[in-house]
Amino acid sequence: MTDEPRAGDQDTLTWAQETIARQAEEIERLRRQLADERFAENLRETLTLAVAVGTIASPVTHSRLLEMIVETAAHVISARAAALFLIDEEAQELVFEVALGSKAEEVKKFRVPLGHGIAGLVAMTGQPMAISGAEGDPRQAADIARSVGYTPQSILCVPLFYHDQIIGVLELLDKERAPSFSTTDIEDLGLFANQAAVAIEQSRTNRNLAALFGEVLKSIGGVTDGQRQELQERARAFAEHLEEDTAFRQALDLARLVQEIAHQGENELRGCQAILRGFAEYLRSRPEPVSGLRDML
Amino acid sequence: MRERLPAWSSAFASDALQMLRPIQPIDDIDREWAWGGSSGQGVKVAVIDSGVDATHPAVGRVDGYVAISEGPDGLAYDTEPHEDVFGHGNACAGIIRALAPDCEIYSVRVLGPRLSGRGSVFAAGLRWAIENGMQVCNLSLSTSKKDFFGVLHELADQAYFAHVMLVAAANNMPGASYPATYASVFSVASHDIEDPYLFYYNPKPPVEFGAYGIDVRVAWANGGWQTATGNSFATPHIAGLVAKILSKHPDLTIFQMKAVLRALAANVSRDQAGRERPETEPIEAGNEEPPLRRR
Repeated sequence: MTDEPRAGDQDTLTWAQETIARQAEEIERLRRQLADERFAENLRETLTLAVAVGTIASPVTHSRLLEMIVETAAHVISARAAALFLIDEEAQELVFEVALGSKAEEVKKFRVPLGHGIAGLVAMTGQPMAISGAEGDPRQAADIARSVGYTPQSILCVPLFYHDQIIGVLELLDKERAPSFSTTDIEDLGLFANQAAVAIEQSRTNRNLAALFGEVLKSIGGVTDGQRQELQERARAFAEHLEEDTAFRQALDLARLVQEIAHQGENELRGCQAILRGFAEYLRSRPEPVSGLRDML
Repeated sequence: MRERLPAWSSAFASDALQMLRPIQPIDDIDREWAWGGSSGQGVKVAVIDSGVDATHPAVGRVDGYVAISEGPDGLAYDTEPHEDVFGHGNACAGIIRALAPDCEIYSVRVLGPRLSGRGSVFAAGLRWAIENGMQVCNLSLSTSKKDFFGVLHELADQAYFAHVMLVAAANNMPGASYPATYASVFSVASHDIEDPYLFYYNPKPPVEFGAYGIDVRVAWANGGWQTATGNSFATPHIAGLVAKILSKHPDLTIFQMKAVLRALAANVSRDQAGRERPETEPIEAGNEEPPLRRR
């Protein structure tokens, strides 16, 4: 994962020790929180926030999503193999996330410094590119050769843009029944990559949220593994329930609007209250979306 | 008695007015007039990219270097000779060299091993080129970061008024990318006709020109070659032609150069004016002065 330290770094041990110390503190804090029953409130707030930014658990896991992106791209553009790299800004490296093609399943994750290879070049220039016939310099395809276990004859590589940032690159290898990829392929893959980047970013935020829940739940002392697993299951179900609840989403939207209107002045707020009262009654007639939480804990 | 004119108008006072040379009527412009006999001599072309290898046979010669990087103390400028870290700069320089064999190529290295700070290094490279007398800049790279819209736009305007021709690769990806979307630059996308001299004009910009950029045989790193596709490789075709034209017509402004290129574009029909269509066979740059074409 992109937030892991590099193995073998001099600083890794210090980093790990600091992290452990930080986590111990955090665990202690959470224990106290649980004791005075504020924990439930915090978890609810976190979930509400998550819903507000639209990042609640999707039915697909992050790694499965990346696989699906690579599979779809390779299928649509008729490529023999494909790979996806994400950028680790801090380490200035491309992190190889997933590959599809021969020997792909044998390959473990690896990292490439940004300053080399076609993937790095595309990340640097922001320009989609296709190359073939690189017999003069096999090194530039070395990263990709490593990811799929053979040296490709043709490569198509496009950047993954999220908002105005490049978050990674998508590479397709060896166009089927043609010596190289076409401009139509570049364009199609470019469009696809933009969609993929949005999905990846949203899923990444979501994965971090899931990881956060995982850590929070793990840190609760005095529960058996079975109980912990049950808690996790119920947290996930709860999150999905929130996501699907239209009334809850409407309420959130309205809450944001009310906040905005309240900033305008008291008269505006009073007018708003009158309008909203009717709607609030409608909402009260709906099942309370967060009522399951107390039972859960 | 003459009234004192405001500052910007002083250039138009009768005693300050500069007389300018006319250029050929646009419809009469052909390749022969534009670049016949020109080898790009005397024109300084900056390849703002990943570096350029003087040792690559396709590049032949590099007249100056600057490698820009962002360090703890701000931007650093290294003018020692360097190499191309990716091969991308060689690809661009090789295409320019083939079209304008005697132009002066300057390698402005802004693409390095780090992605962070890339925008400011890129802007610094462009600024260096404008301030150091470059006449043509090949920009086979872009940034989509909105933070750099303003600074790059300012530089592009500065270049425009200094007659520095910025030739920039359009990005095929959706969403804006700078500086290719600015009106002051020559923005370039790709066509697949294997003719380095053939280009099109797009009447519906932002992308104004289409040049050979699909399955192009290009120079790469470590003396190698490969076949490449992308607007990155179409851009130096226009940059090379601009250098070639500028060598023969050094006074051309950017708007004139665009008019000349439009007149020479393969999709501009001359039938209505009762004139012949532009030639499609390339004219090789040579030392001999070709005979003047008269109509």
